[in-house]
Amino acid sequence: MVERESPLGPAYRPGRHGNVAEAAGVTLSETRPGSIVEVVSWPGSEKAALAAIKSATGLALPNMPGAGVSKKDKAGYGFAPRRWLIIDGREGVEQQLQKAVSDKIGAVNDLSHGRTAIRVSGPRAEWVLSKLFAVDFSAEAFPVSNGCSTAHHEIFAQIQRTGKNQFDLIVFCSFARAFWTTLCHSAEEVGYEVS
Amino acid sequence: MRISCPYCGTRDVAEFTYQGDATITRPDPASTDQNTWNAFVYDRANPAGKHSELWQHSGGCRTHLVVERDTVTHVITSVAFAGAKRKPVSAAAPKRKAPARKAATRGKAPS
Amino acid sequence: MSGRRVSDRGRIDRSRSISFRFDGQAYSGYAGDTLASALLANGITLFGRSFKYHRPRGVLTAGIDEPNALVTVIRDGMREANIPATQLEIYDGLVAESQNRFPSLAFDIGAVNQLAGPVFSAGFYYKTFMGPVIGPLRGTRFWMFCEWFIRRAAGLGRADHARDAARYQRMNAHCDVLVVGSGPAGLAAARAAANAGKNVILAELDPVAGGSAKWSGETIDGKPAAEWAAAQAEALAEMDNVRLLTRTHVWGYYDGNTLAALERVGDHTLTATPGEPRHRHWVIRAGTVVLTTGAFERPIVFPGNDRPGVMLAGAAQRYAAEFGVLPGRRIALFTNNDSAYAAAAELSAAGAEIAAIVDTRQVISAGVRDLAARAGGELLLGQAVSATKGGKALTGVTVQRLDPVTGTASGEKRTVAADCLAMSGGWSPAIHLASQAGAAPKWNDDLQAFLPPDPAQPWLGAGAFAGDTNTADALRSGRNAGARAAGGRASRSQPAKVEAPKLDPFPAPVFEIRPTEGSSGKALVDHQLDVTAEDVRLAHREGFHSVEHLKRYTTLGMATDQGKTSNVPGLAIMANARGISIPEAGTTRFRPPFAPVSLGSLAAERFGDVSPDRLTPMHDWHVDHGAEMMPAGLWHRPRIYGLPGETLEQAYVREAKTVREGVGMVDVSTLGKIAVKGPDAAEFLDRVYTNKFSTLPVGKARYGLMLREDGLVLDDGTTWRLGENDFLMTTTTAAAGKVMQHLECLLDVHWPDLKVALTSVSDQWAGAAISGPDARRVLERAVQGTRVDNETLPFMGIVYGEVDGAPVTICRLSFSGELAYEVYCGAGHGTHVWEALLAAGEPFGILPYGMEALGTLRIEKGHVTGAEIDGRVTARDLYLDWMLSKKKPFVGSAMMDREGLVDENRIRLVGIISLDGLPLGGGAHIVEANSHAEPNESIGHITAFCYSPVLAKYIGLALVKGGKARHGQRAFIADPLRKRYGPVEIVSHHFFDPEGSRMHG
Repeated sequence: MVERESPLGPAYRPGRHGNVAEAAGVTLSETRPGSIVEVVSWPGSEKAALAAIKSATGLALPNMPGAGVSKKDKAGYGFAPRRWLIIDGREGVEQQLQKAVSDKIGAVNDLSHGRTAIRVSGPRAEWVLSKLFAVDFSAEAFPVSNGCSTAHHEIFAQIQRTGKNQFDLIVFCSFARAFWTTLCHSAEEVGYEVS
Repeated sequence: MRISCPYCGTRDVAEFTYQGDATITRPDPASTDQNTWNAFVYDRANPAGKHSELWQHSGGCRTHLVVERDTVTHVITSVAFAGAKRKPVSAAAPKRKAPARKAATRGKAPS
Repeated sequence: MSGRRVSDRGRIDRSRSISFRFDGQAYSGYAGDTLASALLANGITLFGRSFKYHRPRGVLTAGIDEPNALVTVIRDGMREANIPATQLEIYDGLVAESQNRFPSLAFDIGAVNQLAGPVFSAGFYYKTFMGPVIGPLRGTRFWMFCEWFIRRAAGLGRADHARDAARYQRMNAHCDVLVVGSGPAGLAAARAAANAGKNVILAELDPVAGGSAKWSGETIDGKPAAEWAAAQAEALAEMDNVRLLTRTHVWGYYDGNTLAALERVGDHTLTATPGEPRHRHWVIRAGTVVLTTGAFERPIVFPGNDRPGVMLAGAAQRYAAEFGVLPGRRIALFTNNDSAYAAAAELSAAGAEIAAIVDTRQVISAGVRDLAARAGGELLLGQAVSATKGGKALTGVTVQRLDPVTGTASGEKRTVAADCLAMSGGWSPAIHLASQAGAAPKWNDDLQAFLPPDPAQPWLGAGAFAGDTNTADALRSGRNAGARAAGGRASRSQPAKVEAPKLDPFPAPVFEIRPTEGSSGKALVDHQLDVTAEDVRLAHREGFHSVEHLKRYTTLGMATDQGKTSNVPGLAIMANARGISIPEAGTTRFRPPFAPVSLGSLAAERFGDVSPDRLTPMHDWHVDHGAEMMPAGLWHRPRIYGLPGETLEQAYVREAKTVREGVGMVDVSTLGKIAVKGPDAAEFLDRVYTNKFSTLPVGKARYGLMLREDGLVLDDGTTWRLGENDFLMTTTTAAAGKVMQHLECLLDVHWPDLKVALTSVSDQWAGAAISGPDARRVLERAVQGTRVDNETLPFMGIVYGEVDGAPVTICRLSFSGELAYEVYCGAGHGTHVWEALLAAGEPFGILPYGMEALGTLRIEKGHVTGAEIDGRVTARDLYLDWMLSKKKPFVGSAMMDREGLVDENRIRLVGIISLDGLPLGGGAHIVEANSHAEPNESIGHITAFCYSPVLAKYIGLALVKGGKARHGQRAFIADPLRKRYGPVEIVSHHFFDPEGSRMHG
C-alpha cells in the first residue's frame, strides 16, 4: 500500500512550542486513523444502521444525538440526524461497513483520505478549544464519548471527547493545515507539545 | 441570536444560514401555472412580528430547521426539523394576496 | 512626592515602587496605582486639553466614566490613544502622554479657541460647512479648504499607523450565571449562585474585586468593607465552579443572553509571556445574568466646573481611601445629596483640610450634620458654587445663595479658597447593559435617576444598579438575585451586618446652577466633547428637541465615555428648557459597547488571516516546482509554472501550446464533489439537472446543467454513475458550497421522502486532468490494472486501476477540447500519483499547467465557467438549450420560459477577436461605435480573454445582445477604466475544433 501523506506538511513541527515556562498545557497530534467513514441511514432505519455498525465494527453506538463510543483504537458517534462517523485505526473498515449497510438501510461514504484527525489533549484542552469553537466543552455539557458538529468560521469540524482532557477533531483535509496553524497559534499561550 | 437545534443543542446564529420563508410550499413539479410558481419564487410577506423561517444548521448537523421567530424582538418560540412534517401554514400567518402592499404598509422603511 | 500621599490607607503596595513617564517626565508611584492616582500623588492636576476649546482639564472621576483625563500610551513603538488615566494601571516602564495639546500641555496654541467660544457652539460644522457654495467662505468647498486644519486641531488622541504587535484572543464561555460587577451586591450574588452549585462567571472591570467596598470605609461582618470584599473574592476564586474575571468589562448584551466582555490581560505589564494575549474578547452565553453594575456619580453643571481640581466627590473619596492619595490639600465640597458628606469625612480623616461643604439644600439631617462637623470646614446650606477661580489649577470657588425654584445663584459672592472641589449631583444607576437588553429605562423621582427597564431577557438586577441606596440593601438584593438566578428562592435570613453612617439617599433635584448676572464662563455638561449648558439650550432654540436630535446636534454623550457623566444632566437641562419633566424628555437607548473595545480583540486570532487557506493535496509540489499561486475562493491554485525571465503571457501560452501539441496536466482537486447515494439518487438527479441522469449507464459520466428555481443557470459539471444507486457529482470549484446547500435544501425541505444521502467528498479525492494528443500514451505507461484504449475507456467512460500502487478512478472527459482524462485518487495519494503520472509522461514532454492555460484552452473551446454563469444568464443565453429536457420537469423548468428569459435580444454568449492585435480586458464593454469621449450604449461585456496560441490572436468570450445574430459583425471594446478602446469582431464562441474531433479521437 502507498502511504498516505499528511496534509499538515511543514506546519507539523514536533516538539515544545509557545510558552515553555511551565509544563505543556496541551499536546497536539495528528492521529492518522486508517479509516474515517460516514454512515447514513434512511428515516426509520436508524436501529438497523446502528446494528450494522455494531456488526461491522463492534461499536455499539447509542441512538441519541451526539452519543458515541470511544475505545482505544476506534470510536464512533452521531453528528447529525441519521448520520454517524466511524473512526478506526485499521484501514478498509469502509468495505466492512459497505457490506453491512445495505441500500435498504442507508449509505456509506469513505472519508479516510478526505478528513484529517487531530487530537488535542492535556489539562488546558477545553481552554484552547474554547478559543476556536462556540461550544460548551465542560464535562457536564460534553461528556466523554460524545461528539458534535460545529465550525470555526469557514472550517467545519466534528469533535469527539475521547477522554477527560482529550478531544479528537475531524476537519476537511484541504483546511487541515490552516486549522492546525490556527490551533497551534491558539495553544501558544498555554504552551504546547506536538507529538 | 442563538438557535436551539433539535439535534445539536443551542448554538450561536453564526453556525446557521438563513434559507428563507418557511411558509412557502413548492408547487407540484408538473404544474406550469406561472402564477403559482411566481408566488413560490418571489412573493414573500415581510411581517413585523411572528414569522416562520428556514434556517440551515450549516456549521453543524446541516439539517434545515423551521424556526418560529419574532422579527421585532428576535424571540424564538419553536424550532423543528423541516421536512419531517411540512407544517401547514398557521391561521395567523398572512395570506399572500397583495404582499407588496402589505409589506409597504406594515413596516417602516429600513434606514 | 508632593506630600499628597497618606500613609495609612489604600490598597496600594507601598513596598513596590513603580517608575513611569508622563509627558517625558519621570515619576514614581506604587503597585496598585492608576496613572491618575499616581499623578495626583505627584501633585499633577493638569491631565490634558479639551476636545474643542482646548481648555485645561484635570481628572473628573476615578473610574471608567472618566471624560477628561485621556492619555496616549506608547508601547513597543506603538501609540494607543484615549486611554483613561483612571483605568490605566501603572507598571515599570510605562510611557504615557497627554493629548490634544500643541506644543505642550501647559502652553497650548489651540486654547485660543476658547476666545472664539461662541463661534464653535453647537451645530457649528453644520452651519458653516454644509449646503451650497456661496462665495469663498461658505459651504462644502470651504470645508475642503479648512478640513486639514480642523482635523489637526480637533478630535481626541490620534490613531497610530504602526502595526500592532500585540496579540488578541477570543474566548467562548458558557455559564449558568454571569454576575457583572463585583461590588457588595455582586459578591453576594456570585456567592449565592455558586453555593447553589451553579457555574458562575463574575466579571469585574477593576483589577481588584470589591467595588464600593474598596473605598466606602464601611464595616461588613465586623471587618473593614475592603477586607470583607477581598476575603469574599478570594473564597469565590477558590471555588471550582466560579471563574473570577478581573480587569474585565462586559460591554455588550446581545440576543440569546449572549454577552461580550473585554479582559485586559496584559495592559498592566510591560511584557507578555509567549502567546499571552494583550486583550481577551470573551463571548459569554449565560443562563441568567445578574447585573450588579453599581451607579455613576453625576457632576453638577455650573460655570467653570471643568477646571482642573474639580472632581466628583466619590472620586475624591476613592483616591483617598483606595489609593491613599489626597486630590487636594484644602478641599471644598459641593453637593445636592448626602453622599458627599461621607466623602468629606473620609478626606478629612485622610488628612485633608475641608474648606467648606456647600449644599444646595436648606435642610439636612442631624446625622449628616454630625459627619460635617467631624469633617470640619464651613457648612453652607441653601447655597451653590457659581464659579471657579484659578488658571490651570483651582484656587478657589465662588459661593452664592441658591434659589431652589429657579436654580439660579444670586446675591453676595463669597470666595472659598480651595485647591480641590469635590462635587456630587446624585447618582445614576449604570443601566447600560440592561438598556441594551431591554426597553426604555424608568425614571425614579425620589432618586432623580433612571432605573433599569423590565427585563426582556433572563437577567436580574441588584445593588445600586437596581436602585438600592445602601450597602445592607445591596447585600440582601445581591444575595437574593444570586439565589434566584440559581433557580432557588430569595432567602429571608439576615445578610451580612453593615455598619455605615445613616444617609438620606434622595438628592435634591438640582442639576445646573445658573448665575443671574453676567457671564461667568462655560458650564460644561459633556466634558469630553466640550458641550455646554448653553449648547443644549441653543439646540432647543433651534428646534432640536428630541434627545436623539440633541445628541447628534450637540454631540452630547458621544465619544469614548458615551456620556456616562453627562447623560442625565444634559437631559435635565433640555427638559427644563422645554418645560417638561425628565422622563417626558426621555433618554437615548444605550447601545454596545458600554466602554471602548480594542479592534484587535474583535479580530482576535484572525488578525492578518481573514480567511483560511484551502490547499489541494499537491500544493507543496506546485510551490516547490515554481508555481505562482493564485486564490480561487479560499483555494490556492497554480496560476502558471513560469520559467525564469518569462512573462505571465509567455508562460501560459507555452503551457497551453504544450497541451495542444503534446500533453499537459493540471490539478483539478478543487472541483466540488458530492456523493449522491441511495435508491432515489437517479430520480433526485433527474429533478435537479435539466437533463436526464436515470438513463445514464453505470460506469459512465454525463455533463449536466442545473438551474435555480427562477430558471436561471446555477452551475454545470459532470456527474458519474459509479453504481446503480451511487453517483459522484462534480461542481465548479466556486459553486461547490452553493450547490451543496441548494441540494440539501431541496431534499430536507421539499422532498423529504426521497431516500438520498448527500455528502461532500471534495476533499476525499485528488484530481489530475491529463490533456493533449499524447494523454492516452501517458496513461498507458502509468496505469496498471485496466486498459485505457478507446474501447475500454470511451469518451465519458470510467475505469478503475492503479498508478504506482495507488488506486485510481479515471474518467475520460475534456475541458480543454483535447483527448483528456481526469485521474482521481485518494487525497493522501495525491502527490504520489501526480508524480507518477508526470514520470510516465516524461518521454512525451509532459508539463504541468496552471489556471491561465486552463482558461486559455477553455476559451478556445467556448466552454463556460463561473465567469459566464454569473447568476444572470439562462441556458439559452449560453446556447445550452439542447440540455433542457422536454420529457420531465426539473428545478427551474416552470420558470425558465418566461417572456423576459427567452428574448432573442438578451445578452448571449459569443466569441470576440481583437482586431488591433492588442489584449482584451475582462469586464470591458462591447459597443457599436468607436468613440473614446462619448460613452456608447453597451451591448454586452467580455467575460474572459486570453492570447490564443492556436489562433495567434487575442480572443475572448463575451455576452452580447443578440448573440449569434451578430456573428461576423464588427464592434468595439470600450474599457474606460483601463483606457482600452479598439475594434473587435464578434464570432462564434467555438473558436477551435467546433466538431470536437480532437477530444473524441
